[in-house]
Amino acid sequence: MSDEPIISWKVAGVALGLLLTLATFLVSPLGVSTQFVVTDAMVTHQIAPQFAEANAYLAKYGEKENWGIGYGWMLVFGMLVGGGVTAALLRSRQPEQDQGSMPPMWQARFGPSRMKRFTAAFAGGALLLFGARLAGGCTSGHMISGISQLALSSFIFGVTTFAVAILVARFLYRKNASSEVVS
Amino acid sequence: MNTLVIGFLIGCAFGAILFLGGATSYRKILGTLRLRDMTIIKLMLTAIGVGSLGIYLLDLGGLAHMSIKPAYIWGVIAGGAIFGIGWAVSGYCPGTCVVGASEGKLDALFTLLGALFGAFLFSLAFPVLDSLLLQPANLGKVTLEDLLGIDGIYLAIPFSLALLYLAFFVLKDRYE
Repeated sequence: MSDEPIISWKVAGVALGLLLTLATFLVSPLGVSTQFVVTDAMVTHQIAPQFAEANAYLAKYGEKENWGIGYGWMLVFGMLVGGGVTAALLRSRQPEQDQGSMPPMWQARFGPSRMKRFTAAFAGGALLLFGARLAGGCTSGHMISGISQLALSSFIFGVTTFAVAILVARFLYRKNASSEVVS
Repeated sequence: MNTLVIGFLIGCAFGAILFLGGATSYRKILGTLRLRDMTIIKLMLTAIGVGSLGIYLLDLGGLAHMSIKPAYIWGVIAGGAIFGIGWAVSGYCPGTCVVGASEGKLDALFTLLGALFGAFLFSLAFPVLDSLLLQPANLGKVTLEDLLGIDGIYLAIPFSLALLYLAFFVLKDRYE
Protein backbone atom coordinates (compact mmCIF):
# COMPACT_ATOMS: atom_id res chain seq x y z
CA MET A 1 0.00 0.00 0.00
CA SER A 2 1.25 3.45 -0.90
CA ASP A 3 2.13 5.97 1.78
CA GLU A 4 0.84 8.78 -0.36
CA PRO A 5 -2.72 10.19 -0.32
CA ILE A 6 -5.29 8.73 -2.72
CA ILE A 7 -4.95 11.67 -5.11
CA SER A 8 -1.76 13.67 -5.58
CA TRP A 9 -1.35 17.23 -4.33
CA LYS A 10 -1.38 18.38 -7.95
CA VAL A 11 -4.82 16.92 -8.64
CA ALA A 12 -6.19 17.99 -5.24
CA GLY A 13 -4.74 21.51 -5.56
CA VAL A 14 -6.08 22.11 -9.07
CA ALA A 15 -9.48 20.66 -8.09
CA LEU A 16 -9.65 22.90 -5.01
CA GLY A 17 -8.66 25.99 -7.03
CA LEU A 18 -11.36 25.24 -9.62
CA LEU A 19 -13.92 24.57 -6.88
CA LEU A 20 -13.08 27.93 -5.28
CA THR A 21 -13.51 29.64 -8.65
CA LEU A 22 -16.87 27.93 -9.17
CA ALA A 23 -18.05 28.86 -5.66
CA THR A 24 -17.00 32.50 -6.19
CA PHE A 25 -18.88 32.54 -9.50
CA LEU A 26 -22.08 30.97 -8.14
CA VAL A 27 -22.42 32.38 -4.60
CA SER A 28 -19.28 33.33 -2.65
CA PRO A 29 -15.83 31.92 -1.76
CA LEU A 30 -15.20 28.99 0.58
CA GLY A 31 -15.25 29.49 4.35
CA VAL A 32 -15.72 27.32 7.40
CA SER A 33 -15.03 29.01 10.73
CA THR A 34 -18.08 31.34 10.87
CA GLN A 35 -20.32 28.27 10.86
CA PHE A 36 -18.99 27.17 14.24
CA VAL A 37 -20.42 30.39 15.68
CA VAL A 38 -23.68 29.85 13.82
CA THR A 39 -23.91 26.35 15.31
CA ASP A 40 -23.11 27.68 18.81
CA ALA A 41 -25.77 30.34 18.34
CA MET A 42 -28.38 27.75 17.32
CA VAL A 43 -27.63 25.68 20.40
CA THR A 44 -27.53 28.59 22.87
CA HIS A 45 -30.75 30.02 21.45
CA GLN A 46 -32.37 26.67 22.25
CA ILE A 47 -30.90 26.26 25.73
CA ALA A 48 -30.64 29.83 26.99
CA PRO A 49 -32.35 32.26 24.61
CA GLN A 50 -31.92 35.29 26.87
CA PHE A 51 -28.22 34.68 27.27
CA ALA A 52 -27.85 34.25 23.50
CA GLU A 53 -29.69 37.49 22.74
CA ALA A 54 -27.61 39.41 25.31
CA ASN A 55 -24.38 38.22 23.68
CA ALA A 56 -23.47 40.65 20.90
CA TYR A 57 -21.73 37.95 18.88
CA LEU A 58 -24.23 35.09 19.23
CA ALA A 59 -27.29 37.32 18.82
CA LYS A 60 -26.43 37.71 15.15
CA TYR A 61 -27.30 34.09 14.36
CA GLY A 62 -29.64 31.28 15.31
CA GLU A 63 -32.95 33.01 15.97
CA LYS A 64 -36.11 30.95 15.69
CA GLU A 65 -37.26 32.76 12.54
CA ASN A 66 -33.80 32.69 11.05
CA TRP A 67 -31.59 29.87 12.19
CA GLY A 68 -28.65 31.08 10.20
CA ILE A 69 -28.64 28.02 7.97
CA GLY A 70 -27.50 29.55 4.71
CA TYR A 71 -25.03 28.79 1.97
CA GLY A 72 -22.10 28.72 4.43
CA TRP A 73 -23.65 26.31 6.90
CA MET A 74 -24.79 23.96 4.16
CA LEU A 75 -21.26 24.03 2.76
CA VAL A 76 -19.81 22.79 6.06
CA PHE A 77 -22.61 20.24 6.39
CA GLY A 78 -21.73 19.10 2.86
CA MET A 79 -18.09 18.64 3.92
CA LEU A 80 -19.27 16.28 6.63
CA VAL A 81 -21.38 14.28 4.16
CA GLY A 82 -18.99 14.41 1.19
CA GLY A 83 -15.96 13.59 3.35
CA GLY A 84 -17.79 10.82 5.18
CA VAL A 85 -19.18 9.13 2.05
CA THR A 86 -15.84 9.32 0.20
CA ALA A 87 -14.03 7.95 3.25
CA ALA A 88 -16.52 5.08 3.60
CA LEU A 89 -16.10 4.13 -0.06
CA LEU A 90 -12.32 4.50 -0.34
CA ARG A 91 -11.08 3.80 3.18
CA SER A 92 -9.14 0.74 2.01
CA ARG A 93 -7.03 2.95 -0.26
CA GLN A 94 -6.16 5.47 2.46
CA PRO A 95 -2.55 5.03 3.69
CA GLU A 96 -2.60 2.90 6.84
CA GLN A 97 -0.67 5.54 8.82
CA ASP A 98 -3.44 8.06 8.17
CA GLN A 99 -6.23 5.86 9.51
CA GLY A 100 -7.55 5.74 13.05
CA SER A 101 -7.64 8.20 15.93
CA MET A 102 -4.03 7.88 17.14
CA PRO A 103 -1.51 9.18 14.60
CA PRO A 104 1.73 7.12 14.70
CA MET A 105 3.88 10.30 14.61
CA TRP A 106 2.06 11.59 17.71
CA GLN A 107 2.45 8.22 19.49
CA ALA A 108 6.17 8.05 18.78
CA ARG A 109 6.60 11.40 20.51
CA PHE A 110 3.86 11.54 23.18
CA GLY A 111 3.09 7.89 23.85
CA PRO A 112 -0.02 5.75 23.40
CA SER A 113 -2.36 7.60 25.83
CA ARG A 114 -5.66 8.32 24.10
CA MET A 115 -6.54 10.74 26.90
CA LYS A 116 -3.46 12.82 26.14
CA ARG A 117 -4.13 12.95 22.40
CA PHE A 118 -7.82 13.80 22.78
CA THR A 119 -7.11 16.50 25.39
CA ALA A 120 -4.57 18.10 23.06
CA ALA A 121 -7.03 17.80 20.18
CA PHE A 122 -9.78 19.53 22.18
CA ALA A 123 -7.47 22.30 23.42
CA GLY A 124 -6.06 22.74 19.92
CA GLY A 125 -9.58 22.97 18.52
CA ALA A 126 -10.52 25.66 21.05
CA LEU A 127 -7.44 27.71 20.07
CA LEU A 128 -8.22 27.23 16.37
CA LEU A 129 -11.67 28.74 16.56
CA PHE A 130 -10.81 31.44 19.08
CA GLY A 131 -7.99 32.51 16.77
CA ALA A 132 -10.02 32.15 13.60
CA ARG A 133 -12.89 34.28 14.89
CA LEU A 134 -10.47 36.92 16.16
CA ALA A 135 -8.70 37.03 12.79
CA GLY A 136 -11.94 36.79 10.80
CA GLY A 137 -11.33 33.46 9.07
CA CYS A 138 -9.41 30.19 8.89
CA THR A 139 -7.42 28.12 6.42
CA SER A 140 -10.23 28.07 3.88
CA GLY A 141 -11.72 31.54 4.31
CA HIS A 142 -8.52 33.45 4.93
CA MET A 143 -5.69 31.44 3.41
CA ILE A 144 -7.21 29.70 0.38
CA SER A 145 -10.08 32.08 -0.48
CA GLY A 146 -8.62 35.29 0.96
CA ILE A 147 -5.13 35.07 -0.53
CA SER A 148 -6.65 34.01 -3.88
CA GLN A 149 -8.59 37.29 -3.80
CA LEU A 150 -5.31 39.09 -2.98
CA ALA A 151 -6.75 40.41 0.30
CA LEU A 152 -4.22 42.18 2.51
CA SER A 153 -5.69 40.75 5.75
CA SER A 154 -5.36 37.21 4.41
CA PHE A 155 -1.68 37.64 3.53
CA ILE A 156 -1.06 38.84 7.10
CA PHE A 157 -3.05 35.88 8.47
CA GLY A 158 -1.25 33.35 6.26
CA VAL A 159 2.25 34.52 7.16
CA THR A 160 1.53 34.80 10.91
CA THR A 161 -0.23 31.45 11.11
CA PHE A 162 2.45 29.52 9.25
CA ALA A 163 5.28 31.18 11.17
CA VAL A 164 3.73 30.40 14.56
CA ALA A 165 2.60 26.88 13.61
CA ILE A 166 6.09 25.99 12.32
CA LEU A 167 7.69 27.26 15.55
CA VAL A 168 5.20 25.36 17.73
CA ALA A 169 5.63 22.15 15.69
CA ARG A 170 9.40 22.54 16.03
CA PHE A 171 9.05 22.96 19.79
CA LEU A 172 6.66 20.00 20.16
CA TYR A 173 9.02 17.75 18.18
CA ARG A 174 12.32 19.18 19.47
CA LYS A 175 15.25 16.82 19.08
CA ASN A 176 16.11 15.93 22.67
CA ALA A 177 12.47 15.41 23.59
CA SER A 178 11.85 11.93 22.18
CA SER A 179 13.53 10.33 25.20
CA GLU A 180 10.94 11.87 27.53
CA VAL A 181 8.24 9.50 26.32
CA VAL A 182 7.23 6.90 28.85
CA SER A 183 5.29 4.20 27.09
CA MET B 1 -30.59 26.33 -8.23
CA ASN B 2 -31.11 27.31 -4.65
CA THR B 3 -28.02 28.59 -2.80
CA LEU B 4 -28.52 26.05 -0.01
CA VAL B 5 -28.27 23.19 -2.49
CA ILE B 6 -25.25 24.80 -4.18
CA GLY B 7 -23.58 25.22 -0.80
CA PHE B 8 -24.23 21.59 0.07
CA LEU B 9 -22.84 20.29 -3.23
CA ILE B 10 -19.75 22.51 -3.10
CA GLY B 11 -19.21 21.37 0.48
CA CYS B 12 -19.46 17.70 -0.56
CA ALA B 13 -16.79 18.25 -3.22
CA PHE B 14 -14.62 20.24 -0.76
CA GLY B 15 -14.85 17.47 1.85
CA ALA B 16 -14.02 14.79 -0.72
CA ILE B 17 -10.97 16.71 -2.00
CA LEU B 18 -9.62 17.26 1.52
CA PHE B 19 -10.00 13.56 2.34
CA LEU B 20 -8.58 12.27 -0.95
CA GLY B 21 -5.67 14.74 -0.93
CA GLY B 22 -4.56 13.71 2.57
CA ALA B 23 -5.38 17.05 4.23
CA THR B 24 -6.97 15.22 7.17
CA SER B 25 -3.71 13.39 7.86
CA TYR B 26 -1.88 14.41 11.04
CA ARG B 27 1.28 12.98 9.45
CA LYS B 28 0.93 15.22 6.39
CA ILE B 29 0.01 18.39 8.32
CA LEU B 30 2.78 18.05 10.90
CA GLY B 31 5.11 16.91 8.13
CA THR B 32 4.55 20.27 6.44
CA LEU B 33 4.85 22.27 9.67
CA ARG B 34 8.08 20.41 10.49
CA LEU B 35 9.26 21.31 6.97
CA ARG B 36 9.83 17.69 5.98
CA ASP B 37 6.91 16.69 3.81
CA MET B 38 5.70 19.46 1.54
CA THR B 39 2.51 17.77 0.29
CA ILE B 40 0.06 20.07 2.07
CA ILE B 41 1.81 23.35 1.34
CA LYS B 42 2.16 22.36 -2.32
CA LEU B 43 -1.55 21.49 -2.39
CA MET B 44 -2.41 24.89 -0.90
CA LEU B 45 -0.08 26.83 -3.21
CA THR B 46 -1.58 25.08 -6.23
CA ALA B 47 -5.14 25.78 -5.05
CA ILE B 48 -4.33 29.46 -4.48
CA GLY B 49 -2.47 29.65 -7.80
CA VAL B 50 -5.45 28.27 -9.72
CA GLY B 51 -8.00 30.10 -7.54
CA SER B 52 -6.43 33.57 -7.84
CA LEU B 53 -6.27 33.27 -11.61
CA GLY B 54 -9.83 31.90 -11.79
CA ILE B 55 -11.28 34.58 -9.52
CA TYR B 56 -9.60 37.50 -11.30
CA LEU B 57 -10.58 36.11 -14.70
CA LEU B 58 -14.18 36.02 -13.45
CA ASP B 59 -13.69 39.54 -12.15
CA LEU B 60 -12.77 40.73 -15.66
CA GLY B 61 -16.33 39.91 -16.68
CA GLY B 62 -17.76 41.27 -13.42
CA LEU B 63 -18.76 37.72 -12.46
CA ALA B 64 -16.84 37.23 -9.20
CA HIS B 65 -18.78 37.37 -5.92
CA MET B 66 -15.76 38.32 -3.86
CA SER B 67 -15.70 38.47 -0.10
CA ILE B 68 -12.74 40.44 1.27
CA LYS B 69 -12.03 40.29 4.99
CA PRO B 70 -11.20 43.54 6.76
CA ALA B 71 -7.53 44.12 7.61
CA TYR B 72 -7.68 45.04 11.31
CA ILE B 73 -3.96 44.48 11.78
CA TRP B 74 -3.77 43.57 15.49
CA GLY B 75 -6.73 41.22 15.51
CA VAL B 76 -5.52 39.39 12.40
CA ILE B 77 -1.99 38.98 13.80
CA ALA B 78 -3.15 37.91 17.29
CA GLY B 79 -5.83 35.62 15.85
CA GLY B 80 -3.41 34.14 13.32
CA ALA B 81 -0.87 33.40 16.08
CA ILE B 82 -3.47 31.70 18.31
CA PHE B 83 -4.76 29.78 15.30
CA GLY B 84 -1.20 28.67 14.47
CA ILE B 85 -0.74 27.17 17.96
CA GLY B 86 -4.05 25.31 17.68
CA TRP B 87 -3.11 24.05 14.23
CA ALA B 88 0.23 22.59 15.33
CA VAL B 89 -1.19 21.11 18.55
CA SER B 90 -4.27 19.44 17.03
CA GLY B 91 -2.95 18.75 13.55
CA TYR B 92 -6.27 19.94 12.13
CA CYS B 93 -7.82 23.17 10.95
CA PRO B 94 -11.54 24.01 11.19
CA GLY B 95 -12.34 22.44 7.81
CA THR B 96 -10.20 19.32 8.14
CA CYS B 97 -11.47 18.52 11.64
CA VAL B 98 -14.99 18.37 10.19
CA VAL B 99 -13.86 15.98 7.44
CA GLY B 100 -11.63 13.99 9.83
CA ALA B 101 -14.59 13.57 12.18
CA SER B 102 -16.69 12.35 9.25
CA GLU B 103 -14.04 9.66 8.64
CA GLY B 104 -14.61 8.50 12.21
CA LYS B 105 -11.33 9.85 13.63
CA LEU B 106 -11.94 10.55 17.31
CA ASP B 107 -9.08 13.06 17.62
CA ALA B 108 -10.72 15.06 14.82
CA LEU B 109 -14.06 14.85 16.63
CA PHE B 110 -12.44 16.20 19.82
CA THR B 111 -10.89 19.01 17.77
CA LEU B 112 -14.34 19.81 16.37
CA LEU B 113 -15.88 19.88 19.86
CA GLY B 114 -13.00 22.04 21.09
CA ALA B 115 -13.58 24.34 18.13
CA LEU B 116 -17.25 24.79 19.05
CA PHE B 117 -16.09 25.59 22.59
CA GLY B 118 -13.43 28.02 21.32
CA ALA B 119 -16.00 29.86 19.20
CA PHE B 120 -18.20 30.14 22.29
CA LEU B 121 -15.30 31.52 24.37
CA PHE B 122 -14.67 34.07 21.64
CA SER B 123 -18.30 35.18 21.76
CA LEU B 124 -17.84 35.87 25.50
CA ALA B 125 -14.61 37.79 24.94
CA PHE B 126 -15.88 39.63 21.87
CA PRO B 127 -16.83 42.98 23.50
CA VAL B 128 -13.36 43.39 25.06
CA LEU B 129 -11.44 42.15 22.02
CA ASP B 130 -13.54 44.29 19.71
CA SER B 131 -12.41 47.54 21.28
CA LEU B 132 -8.88 46.26 22.01
CA LEU B 133 -7.88 44.55 18.75
CA LEU B 134 -10.58 44.86 16.10
CA GLN B 135 -11.44 48.56 16.05
CA PRO B 136 -7.93 50.11 16.14
CA ALA B 137 -5.70 49.94 13.06
CA ASN B 138 -8.49 48.72 10.82
CA LEU B 139 -7.52 49.34 7.21
CA GLY B 140 -10.81 47.93 5.94
CA LYS B 141 -11.50 45.44 3.18
CA VAL B 142 -8.43 46.16 1.07
CA THR B 143 -6.79 44.03 -1.59
CA LEU B 144 -3.40 44.36 -3.27
CA GLU B 145 -5.34 45.76 -6.22
CA ASP B 146 -6.52 48.67 -4.06
CA LEU B 147 -3.14 49.16 -2.39
CA LEU B 148 -1.02 49.12 -5.53
CA GLY B 149 -3.56 50.70 -7.86
CA ILE B 150 -2.94 47.99 -10.46
CA ASP B 151 -5.74 45.97 -12.08
CA GLY B 152 -6.18 42.70 -10.19
CA ILE B 153 -5.66 40.49 -13.23
CA TYR B 154 -2.18 41.94 -13.83
CA LEU B 155 -1.30 41.00 -10.25
CA ALA B 156 -3.07 37.64 -10.32
CA ILE B 157 -1.26 36.31 -13.42
CA PRO B 158 2.33 36.70 -12.13
CA PHE B 159 1.24 35.78 -8.58
CA SER B 160 -0.41 32.60 -9.80
CA LEU B 161 2.59 31.64 -11.95
CA ALA B 162 4.97 32.26 -9.04
CA LEU B 163 2.96 30.04 -6.66
CA LEU B 164 2.64 27.24 -9.21
CA TYR B 165 6.37 27.46 -9.97
CA LEU B 166 7.10 27.26 -6.25
CA ALA B 167 4.84 24.23 -5.81
CA PHE B 168 5.90 22.31 -8.91
CA PHE B 169 9.60 23.11 -9.18
CA VAL B 170 11.04 24.61 -6.01
CA LEU B 171 9.66 22.90 -2.91
CA LYS B 172 11.08 19.46 -2.26
CA ASP B 173 10.48 17.03 0.57
CA ARG B 174 13.25 16.71 3.08
CA TYR B 175 13.62 13.59 5.16
CA GLU B 176 16.17 13.15 7.90
